[in-house]
Amino acid sequence: MTHIETELFGVAFWSMLETIQMAFIGTIVGVAIAFPLSILSARNLNSKYVYGPVRAILAAIRTFPSILWAMLFVIMVGLGTFAGVLAIIMYTVGFVAKLQYEVIETIDSDPMDAVSSIGVSKWQLIRYVVFPESASHFLSQMLYMFDYNVRQSSILGIVGAGGIGFYIIKHIEFFEYGKATVFMIVVLITVLIIDWGSVKIRDKYIIKSQHGMEVTAK
Amino acid sequence: MTASSSFSEISTKKIIQMNDVSTSYDSKNYALHGINLSIDKGTNYAIVGPSGSGKSTLLKLMNGMMTPSKGTIKIDYQTPNMNNKKFKIMMHKIGYIPQSLGLIKNISVLENTMIGALPRLGIIQSFLKNFPEEEINEAKRILKLVGLSGKEERKAYMLSGGEKRRVAIARALMQKPTILLADEIVSELDHVTAREIMNLIADAQKQMNLTAIMVHHDMQLALEYANRVAVVKEGQKVLEIGVEGDSIVDFQTGDLTTEEIMEMYSDESKK
Ligand SMILES: Nc1ncnc2c1ncn2[C@@H]1O[C@H](COP(=O)(O)OP(=O)(O)O)[C@@H](O)[C@H]1O
Ligand SMILES: [Mg+2]
Repeated sequence: MTHIETELFGVAFWSMLETIQMAFIGTIVGVAIAFPLSILSARNLNSKYVYGPVRAILAAIRTFPSILWAMLFVIMVGLGTFAGVLAIIMYTVGFVAKLQYEVIETIDSDPMDAVSSIGVSKWQLIRYVVFPESASHFLSQMLYMFDYNVRQSSILGIVGAGGIGFYIIKHIEFFEYGKATVFMIVVLITVLIIDWGSVKIRDKYIIKSQHGMEVTAK
Repeated sequence: MTASSSFSEISTKKIIQMNDVSTSYDSKNYALHGINLSIDKGTNYAIVGPSGSGKSTLLKLMNGMMTPSKGTIKIDYQTPNMNNKKFKIMMHKIGYIPQSLGLIKNISVLENTMIGALPRLGIIQSFLKNFPEEEINEAKRILKLVGLSGKEERKAYMLSGGEKRRVAIARALMQKPTILLADEIVSELDHVTAREIMNLIADAQKQMNLTAIMVHHDMQLALEYANRVAVVKEGQKVLEIGVEGDSIVDFQTGDLTTEEIMEMYSDESKK
């Protein structure tokens, strides 16, 4: 059996932290870009001349998995975490915008009609109906995406885009499975902790508010 | 123009006119067919009819959410249409309460009420929910009027059915409306609460010289509160009556002849 080199846990811990940072920044920036795009892609808020092109761009973005974006950005901006963050942003934008426009399109048409029949501006409609009616889904997607991006960031290092994956692939290449195992254990523990954390947050904030919605739907 | 002549002009003004109006959701069936009606300013007008008869559609034509496929509609001499700039400004003063109320569940009672004031607020103010003092006071005054004092900060989803209806009414009153359209808003309530809500609207109507068009499921309620009652059946207005106190003062068959109405009813009894 391979000897696990426990003295590497320090390095593993710091590179994991860097990975989480990448995922965190990528998720936040990606979601921030995705939100306005999701509004522009919603069929119930725009004419087809607006949502058509925006959806096409989003679909194009989604055709690349994040590892391919990472390779592309490594070529464009060089090795390192910056390329990784850019890759995560692209992937997050493509997915969250789609998930979110689907949510916006399923917003109950009654509050939409009631508020737009007052003759309010489109901005006001977005602020007073679209925001509050989709906020809990949006939060839920943000959590899901962060969770997912931590896993993604852990492998982006394979193509030189920063994070813990760099160490894992390096040790595997040199047949240092004991060392690689340390890094993989750290990834495993981190993913489990984040998983547990998002379940807690979901229970506390999101399920509750969605339950509130159900109650009022009657 | 003298003050007295303008007054008489206003008091007899036809605020809503429909001329041979038909509309449909799909190409096959008419949701409404050949509707004629004319409503004086200040009237408390009720629309009654079985479900699926076209009552909700009739209200959606009055606030420009739907357009007729045939015939003409004038609301205060304007054609209701979202793309008509003049009408869009009139929409600010048409309160519309849909059957399901259309409240925003996750925001407070006060904010739901404030939605009625949005046409009066600037972009930044409304985006930051930075409401002017006088609008907040107005909202609180209206919430007190509808019996929701002390519940301003409550989220809408936490309210009872009766309270939700009061919020929807507050939102409409916050528009400082000239016309109020309400779609079966008391149908699901118990007898006592339904009358509380109806009294509240009747009071507001007197104070604000409001024209109210209310859809009811229950003929009894319509006769109790309205000056005029229109009965709709299968997309057609079958009759319209004027009510004064307990008596019917005016009886008109609508767009159908008496024979046609009898035929409809006998059709139903055969089913
Ligand atoms: N969104 C819609 N799409 C298609 N048909 C509809 C829609 N809304 C109503 N209808 C149809 O139009 C007719 C009138 O409906 P409605 O005005 O809602 O009646 P009421 O309010 O009297 O119950 C019904 O036959 C109904 O099935
Ligand atoms: Mg209806």
